[in-house]
Amino acid sequence: MTDHLVLDGVTRRFGSHTALDDVSFTLAAGSICGLLGRNGAGKTTLLSLIAGQDLPSAGTIHVNGHSPFEHAPTLAGINLVRDNQRYPDDFTVGNVLSIAPRFLPHWDADFAKRLVAGFRVPLNQSVKKFSRGQLSAVAIVLGLASRAPLTLMDEPYLGLDVNARRYFHEALVRDVAEHPRTVILSTHHVEESESLFDRVLIVDSGRILLNADIDEIPEIAFTVSGRDDAIRELTAGLDVLRLHTVPGLASATIRGSADDAFLVRAEAVGARIQGVSVADLVTAFGSESAAEAVAA
Amino acid sequence: MTVLGTPAQTRTPEASDVTSNFNSSSSSTKGPAMNPVLAVTQLHLTRKRMTFGVPVLYVGVVAVLSILISLIAWRAGSQPGSTGWIVSSRSNPGLVWALGGFLGYMGVSSTATTFRFAITLGATRRAFTLGTLLWNLVIASYLAVVLTVLAALELATNHWFVGFYIFDIAILGNGNLPATFAIVLLGVLAMLTVAGVFGAAWIRFSNRGPILLGIGIGLVIVVAVLILVPQAAQIVAAFEPWWLAIAAGVAIIAASLGSWRLLRRAIIR
Repeated sequence: MTDHLVLDGVTRRFGSHTALDDVSFTLAAGSICGLLGRNGAGKTTLLSLIAGQDLPSAGTIHVNGHSPFEHAPTLAGINLVRDNQRYPDDFTVGNVLSIAPRFLPHWDADFAKRLVAGFRVPLNQSVKKFSRGQLSAVAIVLGLASRAPLTLMDEPYLGLDVNARRYFHEALVRDVAEHPRTVILSTHHVEESESLFDRVLIVDSGRILLNADIDEIPEIAFTVSGRDDAIRELTAGLDVLRLHTVPGLASATIRGSADDAFLVRAEAVGARIQGVSVADLVTAFGSESAAEAVAA
Repeated sequence: MTVLGTPAQTRTPEASDVTSNFNSSSSSTKGPAMNPVLAVTQLHLTRKRMTFGVPVLYVGVVAVLSILISLIAWRAGSQPGSTGWIVSSRSNPGLVWALGGFLGYMGVSSTATTFRFAITLGATRRAFTLGTLLWNLVIASYLAVVLTVLAALELATNHWFVGFYIFDIAILGNGNLPATFAIVLLGVLAMLTVAGVFGAAWIRFSNRGPILLGIGIGLVIVVAVLILVPQAAQIVAAFEPWWLAIAAGVAIIAASLGSWRLLRRAIIR
């Protein structure tokens, strides 16, 4: 696969605040990548830089070999609609649909109309008067119908009801299958979206904590749960990403995979071992202990 | 929920499919995207009522108010066609205040509310600045034609058959139609671009941007006045109207460059 997105040592500072800190990764063309992390982790800043809507304080970003910032041919192939996207005064969805093809060379007008109908978005009402869910629907219409080779979606689910979220999933899967492109999707709805991803990036405090193929997830960590004292003894000296306790019981997410010796010890103390989901990993990496582990 | 169509035959996207799409338009698109500068102009023109309707509405309101004021003056004893009537009617600055205020708002809002969406659609900052300048030129040309035609009608009807001076006024060139066209074209373009740079300053530096820009421009004007005031009498004596055209041209170019410089590093939030 071709790496058409390459970030090398990207740092973005806003005054004294470092939103992204020395971020480097590559992404192959055709990937659907989940960009995951807590609020304020740096996800939107990262998307903004990739979309050429901002410049890094240090480092380089290349999309198909070009820096996207102010490079019109590259920008024509990228689409990022923000979660707080603003529209010109009195703009309607009809206006959005009429102007989008002037800018977006891959725009599919028929698909856009089907999506608008599917999300039941009013065509002639001012976007300013839309609910949070309707605004998200407009952003999804723009993102999907743009058919941009690099489609970036920033929290597309905000305010969407369960039917609309399911509709979005179906539309995304079908359309990407028919019209291959790279998608980076930032979301907090990790469990719902997990099945979409072939790759996940977990960001926290401006740093990439995990960049992995979805198939690699079971090898990255596992969870062991049981009696509090037994779990603490069992996990002593291991790389504990997260330890969750309730009176008498504990559950620990451990980096790496459980070897035979560990399995025997766990069985002896009645502890249960499970694989981790992407959501578990996001929680584990976002917890205080993980932050400390990374810092260490 | 509507059905999206028959389920696609799922296949793994090929990297070459994606990268080759990067510099070509999809076959499902009705046509290639237009020139980015023209696309930005088209984006502004999407707001047709704002572009073509509201400015003319302001002209109409000023015209009606001017007629009402003329009627009051007439009832008060002033005679249409008299020297005093003509001089006072032609000194009416209402059009500048009414239209100028609206154009200021229009210039600020066109940049402040459209920039983010244009960038989302993939416009470069340079294309946005040039496309907005072109849209400003469209409005200026449109208003120049409208006001020149109205002034021509006023002259052709001997001031609306009763001696009302609505468009044959000093600020529009005292009935000199080429001058009317040039004054409106350059005046409107200058107002929109200068207002636009304030919108750009707001995008770049938030609330403090327009304040600092206003203070800066004010300081430049005060310093210029301080330097030139000893020669004020000679300057007034030597004044030529084309000086204003040059000043408008300088303001338009400076404001456009300023907008581009401010927007070039503006952060989209």
